[in-house]
Amino acid sequence: MRRRIKLVLRKAPKAVRRSFRISSIQSIITLSFSAVIILAMIMVGIGLYSSFSENAEGNAASSAQQIMDQATINLENYLKTMMEISDLIRTNMIDSSPENMQNLDDMLSLTLELRADIVTVAIYTGNGNVMLTNPGHDTDSNYSVLQQDWFKQTIDNPEAYLFQPPHVQRLFEGRRPWVVSMCRGLDVEYLGRDETWAAMVDMNFSVIEELCSRVSLGSRGYIYVVDKYGNIIYHPQQQLIYSGLKEESIDEVIEREQGSFVDDFQGERRITTIKNIQYSDWKMVGVSYVDELFENQRDFTSFIIYILIFGIVFVILASIFLSSKISKPIKRLENQMNRVEKGDFDIDNLEVKGEDEVKRLTKAFNLMIARIKQLMNQIISEQEEKRKSEFNALQAQINPHFLYNTLDSIIWMNENQNHQGVSEMTAALARFFRISISKGNEIIDVADEIEHARSYLVIQKIRYKNKFDYTIDVQEQAYKHETLKLVLQPIIENAIYHGINKIQEKGEIKIEVFIQNEQLIFRVSDNGFGIKPERLKEIFESEPTKKRTLGVGLKNVHERIKLTYGSEYGVDIESEIEVGTTVNIRIPLTPTQNGGNDEKTT
Amino acid sequence: MKKLHKITALILILILTAALLGCSSTDLTVEEERLTIKVIVKMQEPTFWAVVHMGAIAAGKEFNVDIEYDGPTNEKDIDGQISMVRDAIDEGVDALVLAASDYQKLVPVAEEAKAAGMPVIIIDSNLNSEKMDSFIGTDNVDAGRKLGESLIDKVGENCKIAVMSFVKGTATAVQREEGFFDKIKDYPGVQVLAMLYCNSQAAIAQQLTREVVAANPDIDAIVCLNAYGTVGTAYAIAELNKTGEVKIIGFDSTPEEISFMEKDVIQSLVIQNPFNMGYLGVKYALDAINNIKIPKTVNTGSEVIDKDNMYLPENQKLVFPFID
Repeated sequence: MRRRIKLVLRKAPKAVRRSFRISSIQSIITLSFSAVIILAMIMVGIGLYSSFSENAEGNAASSAQQIMDQATINLENYLKTMMEISDLIRTNMIDSSPENMQNLDDMLSLTLELRADIVTVAIYTGNGNVMLTNPGHDTDSNYSVLQQDWFKQTIDNPEAYLFQPPHVQRLFEGRRPWVVSMCRGLDVEYLGRDETWAAMVDMNFSVIEELCSRVSLGSRGYIYVVDKYGNIIYHPQQQLIYSGLKEESIDEVIEREQGSFVDDFQGERRITTIKNIQYSDWKMVGVSYVDELFENQRDFTSFIIYILIFGIVFVILASIFLSSKISKPIKRLENQMNRVEKGDFDIDNLEVKGEDEVKRLTKAFNLMIARIKQLMNQIISEQEEKRKSEFNALQAQINPHFLYNTLDSIIWMNENQNHQGVSEMTAALARFFRISISKGNEIIDVADEIEHARSYLVIQKIRYKNKFDYTIDVQEQAYKHETLKLVLQPIIENAIYHGINKIQEKGEIKIEVFIQNEQLIFRVSDNGFGIKPERLKEIFESEPTKKRTLGVGLKNVHERIKLTYGSEYGVDIESEIEVGTTVNIRIPLTPTQNGGNDEKTT
Repeated sequence: MKKLHKITALILILILTAALLGCSSTDLTVEEERLTIKVIVKMQEPTFWAVVHMGAIAAGKEFNVDIEYDGPTNEKDIDGQISMVRDAIDEGVDALVLAASDYQKLVPVAEEAKAAGMPVIIIDSNLNSEKMDSFIGTDNVDAGRKLGESLIDKVGENCKIAVMSFVKGTATAVQREEGFFDKIKDYPGVQVLAMLYCNSQAAIAQQLTREVVAANPDIDAIVCLNAYGTVGTAYAIAELNKTGEVKIIGFDSTPEEISFMEKDVIQSLVIQNPFNMGYLGVKYALDAINNIKIPKTVNTGSEVIDKDNMYLPENQKLVFPFID
């Protein structure tokens, strides 16, 4: 699904793609959700529509048949009435005696009074003379039945019921009603001879018309009646057919049996239903327009389309809403992860909320961050340890060299009987090492650090044969604090080796300790050779090497202070060639545990 | 998540209900939009115009439109017809089918109806206006020719005749005369003794016939150009016992004329097709409403009937329109 969507969307214009990131979970959910549901809706819609339209024609045809069943029964009853009357005449027409004729006339009068739809009953002799009419009027002398086809047929076949299509009755003078006739032969004994006469029952044609026009096959559908030769008995548009304005598929209808068929007639699709009418060779034909029946279907179609549009809009909105609901916590997680990506590991545990999956993901992420932090701290401390041990090793390297030189000086003084010098130097050396070791403590009192520096200066001053003088000036307040040990000695060593040693005149080393801006400052200044600016830069940048060069000690001190107190503390150097160097060691104020009162007494 | 689905389902149901309601309400409005076509005839009577009405009703049923039928009680009531047309304009019917009772006087009001936006179809009797959508009626020149044809058929190529026209100078009279004389000019043996105008009154026609027969005892036939003239002439001939001696070629098929034809007083009749006028009037009015191009003139045709063919199935309905 996802791949297919991607495939489709790859073809979409770039602008669209840019505005809607296809690879995001939200868009994938939105698209696939919408696509599946819309597809399903369209399929259901098409299915409903096709089954509906398939049924519609069938339903229309069967309902047309039902409607026509009733009409057929009515029409058959109508014909049956005529047949019954003709039977009545036939059985009562025993002889042509005047009494019998009078009885028959009376009986017919009664029947006609009861049946308003019967217009006339007439009896003709075999010669075509009118024997009896009911009701009686002046017969039209211009009209003779002898030439009429129906009369000949009736005389030839007296048993049969012969129905005549609707026509104008011409029996009476000045009266021209529309009638449907039924003719029947009569076996009569007349003047001692057996003769065949004819009886004619005329029924009001408007009854048939009313009967057919009353039937409703939709607002445009209609019913018509034809005989087996295709003569129209009744048709609502008979006039139009005769004048050629209308056509009717009569030829097709007379060839068919009972039932329904659908055809396209003059560009209109219609359902034609045929029913045979009993007692006669007539057929009743119902015509209904598919178009009209399908007006409902059009409504249904537009209904389906409405629903589809509503549904699609709704599905899209719902899927956007749903997908955002799903992807929102993921996005939130993503944002927090972005912070981590930028290096901010200080987010303590992301808030664990939302759906189960997201909760688990958040938990796992939190766990991962914690582990990373732990590992990072571990690495940092390991690195620090590693560096500290490196520095310690370096420091350890200094001492043997210095010790060797100092011991060499002591031996030399001893050989020159300089006993005072020997004892002075040995005492200084002892102090120096005592403080150096200081029971393994890294942090010592300021007084001890000063003492350590002083011991070193004493030793060096003897070794360098008073090539320099020194002063130590410590602010009283400074004694009350602690410091990292052995910070002064490397600076002093630097000042001697690289400053004082390179000048001819007597050197001056000045050590000041004071508190400034809440910081404890150790300042070592000399009037030595100074450091070249380019060299000065290198001091803090170069890697520590085993080779004893300018600045190794300096850098060592700087790094150790930073490691111990933080990066805002350390060593800075101001130097000018042939003027001297001033080194400031800045450390935070850390008061001694016992308030520094012991220091004063020591 | 489950709750969300429930809400979704609920909203969907609400939308579907709304859609359903929307559809059913549109159905109702569609039902109300049935078109109404007004048919105004010259006169409400039970023969010719009743058949026009039947034709209009047949078309109305077929094309699913409402038909309103109106007309004055007297053919001469021109003002009555004018006010009926005006009523139809006020009523705002969708189209008008009009049989103009006057060639000139109905023009302003018919054009007013046209200006109001409704198609106007003129049937039977034309109107002196180019603005009407269509004229549907008998081609009177052709009908006149058929009178001539029938005269030659029934009376022969050599005969003395009188022509009974109706109102001198009216459009239909002039056209029928034109057709008739156009036909008989091919037969030099036909001698027209008199040209008569009965002013559409049977009594005048009867009187004129008496006079023309008295003046010309050797007259063979009288050709009548409308129903009033035919009836009046037939009464005169029957009354003078000249049945069959002075033959009548008539126009239209009123019950009186049919009766005279069955008695052989009238030899043949040229009949029109009022049913088709009504039917086509409505049909073309509907086409005009739907902006379908319709012909400017439609000939509904005319037939010659005589005693022998009047009872044929195809003519019976024309000759004996049955009216409920």
